[in-house]
Amino acid sequence: MNTDNKQTKDTASFIPETTPQLDLGSAWLRDKRQESRSVFNGSPLPPRGIHLWRYTDPSIFLSKHLTQDNTSITKSLDGPRSDLAAQLESNNISGLVTDHADQEITVQGIDAIIDQGVIVCSLAEAVEKHSEIAERHLYQLINSDTGKFEAMNCALWNQGIFVYVPDGVTVEKPLYLYREAPPGEQTQFPRLLVVVGENAELTLIDEYSGGGSENNCYANAVIEIFGKQYSRTRYVSLQQYHTGVSSYLTHRAQINQSATMLTIPLAFGGDTSKCNYGVTLNGQGAESDIFGLVFGTGRQHLDNHTLHHHVASETLSNIDLKVVLRDKATSAYTGLIRIENDAKTCEAYQVNRNLLLSSGTKADTIPELEILNEDVQCSHGATIGPIDPMSVFYLKSRGIEESAATRMIVAGFVGSTLKMLPVDLRENIRTIVANRLENL
Amino acid sequence: MSGKAKNKNNDIASLGEDYATKYGFHDPVDYFHKGAKGLNHEVVEMISRMKNEPRWMSDIRHEALDIFVSKPMPKWGSTDMLAEIDFDNIYYFMKPIDSKKDSWDDVPDYIKNTFDKLGIPEAEQKFLGGVSAQYESEVVYHSMKENLKKQGIIFLDMDSALREHPEIVREYFGSVIPAMDNKFSALNTAVWSGGSFIYVPPGIDVSAPLQAYFRINAENMGQFERTLIIADKGSRIHYIEGCTAPVYSSNSLHTAVVEVIAKEDASIRYTTIQNWARNIFNLVTKRASVYKNGTVEWVDGNMGSRLTMKYPCIQLLGEGARGEILSVAFAGTGQHQDAGAKVIHAAPNTSSRITSKSISKDNGRASYRGLVKVYKNAHGTKTSVECDALLIGDNARSDTYPTMEIDNDQVKVEHEARVSKVAEDQLFYLTSRGLSEDDARLLIVNGFMEPFTKELPLEYAVELNRLLELEMEGGVG
Repeated sequence: MNTDNKQTKDTASFIPETTPQLDLGSAWLRDKRQESRSVFNGSPLPPRGIHLWRYTDPSIFLSKHLTQDNTSITKSLDGPRSDLAAQLESNNISGLVTDHADQEITVQGIDAIIDQGVIVCSLAEAVEKHSEIAERHLYQLINSDTGKFEAMNCALWNQGIFVYVPDGVTVEKPLYLYREAPPGEQTQFPRLLVVVGENAELTLIDEYSGGGSENNCYANAVIEIFGKQYSRTRYVSLQQYHTGVSSYLTHRAQINQSATMLTIPLAFGGDTSKCNYGVTLNGQGAESDIFGLVFGTGRQHLDNHTLHHHVASETLSNIDLKVVLRDKATSAYTGLIRIENDAKTCEAYQVNRNLLLSSGTKADTIPELEILNEDVQCSHGATIGPIDPMSVFYLKSRGIEESAATRMIVAGFVGSTLKMLPVDLRENIRTIVANRLENL
Repeated sequence: MSGKAKNKNNDIASLGEDYATKYGFHDPVDYFHKGAKGLNHEVVEMISRMKNEPRWMSDIRHEALDIFVSKPMPKWGSTDMLAEIDFDNIYYFMKPIDSKKDSWDDVPDYIKNTFDKLGIPEAEQKFLGGVSAQYESEVVYHSMKENLKKQGIIFLDMDSALREHPEIVREYFGSVIPAMDNKFSALNTAVWSGGSFIYVPPGIDVSAPLQAYFRINAENMGQFERTLIIADKGSRIHYIEGCTAPVYSSNSLHTAVVEVIAKEDASIRYTTIQNWARNIFNLVTKRASVYKNGTVEWVDGNMGSRLTMKYPCIQLLGEGARGEILSVAFAGTGQHQDAGAKVIHAAPNTSSRITSKSISKDNGRASYRGLVKVYKNAHGTKTSVECDALLIGDNARSDTYPTMEIDNDQVKVEHEARVSKVAEDQLFYLTSRGLSEDDARLLIVNGFMEPFTKELPLEYAVELNRLLELEMEGGVG
């Protein structure tokens, strides 16, 4: 039994040289893939002693199906999801990209923005057709040095998505990326590269859905976003996999002088979900906000990490991560603000609020600060607790029954985050939150 | 510039020498016993034999030595500095005199002078209920007021306690901090010597604080005192310790273990001001167990040392128990204060508060590393953590690593931290009122530290303010 276990582990932590994905793309890309493969094969699992891995077992994110040939997965998607098709129809989004199992990228309704010079295509295509931009940015923020699981994605991603907004172009409406994993035993390596040019503007919604309810699907996503100077980027990451998915996601953005970046991580799904969001403030006057919402039910384990890395002076960052838990769900949050010695006159704030709705829940939080010069304003705070009984009492005294009162209070708790979302998405998320509050 | 300010600046100008003259001197001593450098089972056996200990204690020591050798060094904090410790180049046991004295007149002159310079007997006469002075490995002087003895309070050095009250020591020794706990608690358990032992009988309120003073004199010395405080039901005690060492070129090691037990309704306050020289590694494990409705307060000031790694811990084990940790750290040039606090809520309706203040100056680094853990059964827990850091100088560094693990939904947990430099508008206001910029800055720093200093007995508060003033001098702005 023991040796058996060891056997599975060994194959899971080893990418054979014959894996078909390693041969995809140009020579440049194939070198990168091979290099990532050897880093993955040569590196141990991350140690549990470090805060990042204190609350989640890394061995979950090794895959038993690394070598499977994903091309055999049936392409079963019959057009886009109805609500997204409706949004496209009514012109509420500037385009819809559907990524089916990282096998097939379909782009719809982007004619208007193509005229503006925007490029939306699969990353595999971009490496061929727009090799100059792609090679200058791909693997710059996340590569085989980032970590073992990131190296795994760097070696094995298949199609990926690429979005490029030229200098000075404003994409008025959100661009919607919809990635669906089919049910069944398989492994996904979604990858996204976004380049927002100087003084350009983009809103991106990045949704991860699908998988089955059996615990046999694994997704390992990597996202790199560049905001050039004076650019304005809003990035929403919505994770609502089925309960059988183990999800690992690493996001890194880099913003230059006077650029702004709003990142909204929304995590609802999966069995175990570990997300790592990071923004490097790389140019003077850059501003980054991360406003996230995590809602765990059942026996979900949701582990989130945020990083704000101040490299340049006069940069501003702000994090507000809200966590709601019910049933036996557990959450772990680790967040780091690091201000380098050369980054003067920075401001950085970080808040993590945890609302516990049932007695079996567990919330861990480690908001960290590393500050290497004096000229800063920095604060962080964390709270963990149940719904304030006084608030419930007040609402009840106004004739509102207890379950409705609870819903109102949770709606208020998440409200300030949802307010920042595009309208259609906001309504979607409200429904998700309401559904998650059923039978409380 | 006024004459007064000039005077102060003269004082301040001699800061470098000040630690050397006030604390940094050392005595040329013919030690009654000076063991060999390095650590092995023979050294442990020798310490145990010289102390005439019962067999069970030597067994504990030997076992702890094996644990020490088998445990790896901590991988957090300042691993670079930790790597500098050369465990083979340290004297683990030094006995300055052949027996402890209970009259100040009998203490050898050179030691007496040391403690006279440090002001210990003076303080004793003024306000303390009892005092104990440890020089290297051994307690050299010990006295306690008569009325306290009559009440049944036991205040002894740890070695005497082991001889006179072996049953109490055996019951509690290692019960809060076992040798297995960490590498340095294992080291201390293997080679401990000296330290304080206090037992307060039920219902006794010790109104005057008891004090111990720890002094390292020799170079490459390791001081491993072991302190055990037990407050029985409904009793109350305040214990204070101070620490200094001379300035040497090579490093010394201070690795203490402090175990504190507050039984039902008992209350303990433990105040430390450590002002070690800047070549001391200060790696201390301190932990308290608090039972039903009991209270433990750690008041912890970290001024000196090269590297301090110290996280006073409170385990709230009985319903209604309360814990408070108030800690300040000052990290100047070349120093790393890796301090923090831990509270474990393991019983219902317990409450705790952690207040941490740190100042990093020049290239000093102050870290807060903390843990609040709430177990499943600890409903009705209230806990708040507040960390404030002040940065002075362009290369100062401040880190905050708080950890909160909450396993219960009926709790109220709050954490807050702020990091900033001395506010320009405050400085501007004070200078507009005619204060020099240095004085204004000092005033702001004193205000920043005030929640801590106001908890100290007056003499200590005055001393701390003076230390701050000296530390703040020069290179500011």
